[in-house]
Amino acid sequence: MPKPERGGPRPPRRRGMGRRKVCRFCADKGMLIDHKDGRLLGSFLTERGRIIPARVTGTCARHQRHLTNAIKQARTLALVPFQTVYPQ
Amino acid sequence: MPNRRYETLILIHPEQGDAGSKDVVARIRQLAENQGATISQLQEWGVRELAYPIDRQRRAYHILLEYRATPQALGEIERNLKLMEPVLRYLSVRQAENAPPAAARPTYGAEPAAPARAAEPVDEGGIDEGDTAIADGEGV
Repeated sequence: MPKPERGGPRPPRRRGMGRRKVCRFCADKGMLIDHKDGRLLGSFLTERGRIIPARVTGTCARHQRHLTNAIKQARTLALVPFQTVYPQ
Repeated sequence: MPNRRYETLILIHPEQGDAGSKDVVARIRQLAENQGATISQLQEWGVRELAYPIDRQRRAYHILLEYRATPQALGEIERNLKLMEPVLRYLSVRQAENAPPAAARPTYGAEPAAPARAAEPVDEGGIDEGDTAIADGEGV
């Protein structure tokens, strides 16, 4: 016997506001993660050159994994910085 | 012997003039072919700005080589690249058999040298401080 109805299932709570983030790579299947595409990878870096966490960008786990690998390869090739404040 | 798809992006020292770069490119092509690689594509991206200096160079001549080769040949190609003086850096990646050939996409290829990073105010924040340093979150 189920308990008496008490408000029903809770509505999913969203802290803060704004719309749900969608993984850019899932939304657009034609968008490939490529370690040679410095411009795209750069958009997932902070100004200092750190990788932005998936929870900020909304990238799904799978694509975030591919993305971090690609960024690290791109860093080797100096297409994307390791850090942006370098000793002169 | 498995014949696999690879691509190698090579950064060449910028200060050898046009002819010098062409010469290096020709040598690399020769090197790959001598190892039995079948080159499907060789893109020259030209001189582009680096995200950070390598060997005190702020720019480099980029070439992208797509080919099929055996793993042994790849090892030999990489060994020789390492020995070539004008090669600043390279990275070989195995490609999926069904991956589309690297297109000369405008996102790379023709991109002009990126503007030099403006000297940011040097905040000695330490790299490994929490996540508060996120500055340019994608507005997704």
